[in-house]
Amino acid sequence: MTDPDPQPWLRLDPRMLLVHPAREVVRFLPVLVGILVAGGASGAGPWGLLGVGIPVALGLVRYLTTSYRITGGRVELRRGLVQRHLLSAAIDRVRTVDLTATLAHRVLGLATVVIGTGSVAADADEQLELDGLPREQAAALRVQLLQSGAAAADDAALPSGTPPVPVVRFAPRWLWYAPFTSGGLVAAGALIGVLSQTTELFAVRIDVTEDDLSALTGLAVLGGAVALVALVVLLAVAGYWVVNAGFSLTHDGGAWHVRRGLLTTRETSLDETRVAGVTRGEPAALRLAHGARLSAIVTGLARSGESGAVLVPPAPRDTVADAASVVLGTPAPMTAPLRAHGPEATRRRYVRALAGSAPVVLVLVGAVVAGASPALLVVAALAIGAALALAWDRARSLGHTLVEQFVVARSGSLRRRRDALATGHVIGWTFRDTWFQRRVGLVTVDATTAGGQGRITVPDVRVGDAIELADAATPGLVAPFLRLGSDA
Amino acid sequence: MSAGTTLVALLVAAWLWDTYAVRWWVVGAAIAVATAYVVVVPEWRYLVHRWEVTETAVYTQRGWWARERRIAPMSRVQTVDLAQGALARAFRLATVTVTTASAAGPLRIDGLDRDVALGLVAELTAKADLVEGDAT
Repeated sequence: MTDPDPQPWLRLDPRMLLVHPAREVVRFLPVLVGILVAGGASGAGPWGLLGVGIPVALGLVRYLTTSYRITGGRVELRRGLVQRHLLSAAIDRVRTVDLTATLAHRVLGLATVVIGTGSVAADADEQLELDGLPREQAAALRVQLLQSGAAAADDAALPSGTPPVPVVRFAPRWLWYAPFTSGGLVAAGALIGVLSQTTELFAVRIDVTEDDLSALTGLAVLGGAVALVALVVLLAVAGYWVVNAGFSLTHDGGAWHVRRGLLTTRETSLDETRVAGVTRGEPAALRLAHGARLSAIVTGLARSGESGAVLVPPAPRDTVADAASVVLGTPAPMTAPLRAHGPEATRRRYVRALAGSAPVVLVLVGAVVAGASPALLVVAALAIGAALALAWDRARSLGHTLVEQFVVARSGSLRRRRDALATGHVIGWTFRDTWFQRRVGLVTVDATTAGGQGRITVPDVRVGDAIELADAATPGLVAPFLRLGSDA
Repeated sequence: MSAGTTLVALLVAAWLWDTYAVRWWVVGAAIAVATAYVVVVPEWRYLVHRWEVTETAVYTQRGWWARERRIAPMSRVQTVDLAQGALARAFRLATVTVTTASAAGPLRIDGLDRDVALGLVAELTAKADLVEGDAT
């Protein structure tokens, strides 16, 4: 790999000359409009040309000043005219390779390559991004980057002519799960925000008089609510469709490839040796619809890159289970029975839920005592009921186990998750307990790892079970400290 | 030390409130809470705080009301950091921070004697250096 001859610097694809100026024009659009309007008013024609020329020139400069090469086991990227950047990264530290193609890219047969090395630099300037390579070249580069890495030993990894069979492939019935995610609410909120802004902008006033209010019958309110729900559902489905259409998860060349997107396609490749485990998200709403989602815990890929680690978007539970067992190589972590955390942990769930609802209840009861309508007591009862239901579900969810070299933990209710982390990727343990927890002999255990959120958490487990889990998962690591851990 | 800053913060807060002519009992309560904190918490922290380094792992225990024990295998240690604030220098103390590749937080050993801390850093660095790979 260490080539004594320095490789020549390579340019991006010249077709980017079409994309870059177009993008710059869009970015300068407000300025352009201003110039055109001002120019039209004062009759200054040449200024308008300058307004178009600057963005085009910027695009050209960007093309001319950006180049990359792969040499001596490193990938290097040079860019910038005034402020020169030279980025260099060792290929064996490459963790993910993303191929993104917007509509403009796709029309021209191009793709953007983003190389993830697990660096914490969030600055856009520090990202290894090759915006605009021909599709085939981008795909070849990806294979080269990922194979020179950890998967070099895998001789079957050479890209064959036949595309590999996807582990998971998008099915239209997945759209059914879209309304059970929070995506619709977010989209609706954004839409309402934009609408209210535009009505303000165009000085559209909606005058509401008292007559209007009295004319507002129950039927109209119901109709409005139904329309709102329909809008949210529609937006959720549309958003899900745009992001996840054409989804596929494949395994090829020592990496997992996730491909999705209706307009902008995005292909993420995760080096398989860096996949430390998976997280199955099963929020309450999605569970009601018999769905789940799956994401990977990737070493060196921090939380901010969580979207990059999606393995299966909200989809049928069976699909997710199949995908998880293929990715982990065994179905056990997602199917094995979990060890419950006992009555102390259950009691804690109830106490905490009720304590959380206490302020609401107290305020309501206080209001009734002070002379408000007794109907408020119904609301208070509802709050208590909701707290009890939450506590019941949270207590039911708690569990952990160690199966086939995977630490498995499940917790939560509204955002329930089941994490499976390979014991080889556990890089430490944290035991946390408050005075309340010590009183009943419980402890919250974190198995720390170098990816995802940095840890998977097993809340409120009995001290004995916790030590057993840690000792079994990483033999010999915890044992020397047991005597110390049990005193104080 | 953090208790001291808390006390100062509370006193300043009480002082500011006083200028807005809020009752004296607020100031009194603040002082009482701060004093209790200063008297109890550092002692409590000191009693809880433990650390140990073996051939294979680093272990710390810290906290007071909420206690946290962390274990990191020597093979996963990424950096060893020694820090001394102005006050710590005056008392010849130092804090050693051991980080792993996890984002979930480093292991911290507070208030070590400076020579002990320097020795510990040398020891940890030597031991962590024996392991190959990028410790992730």
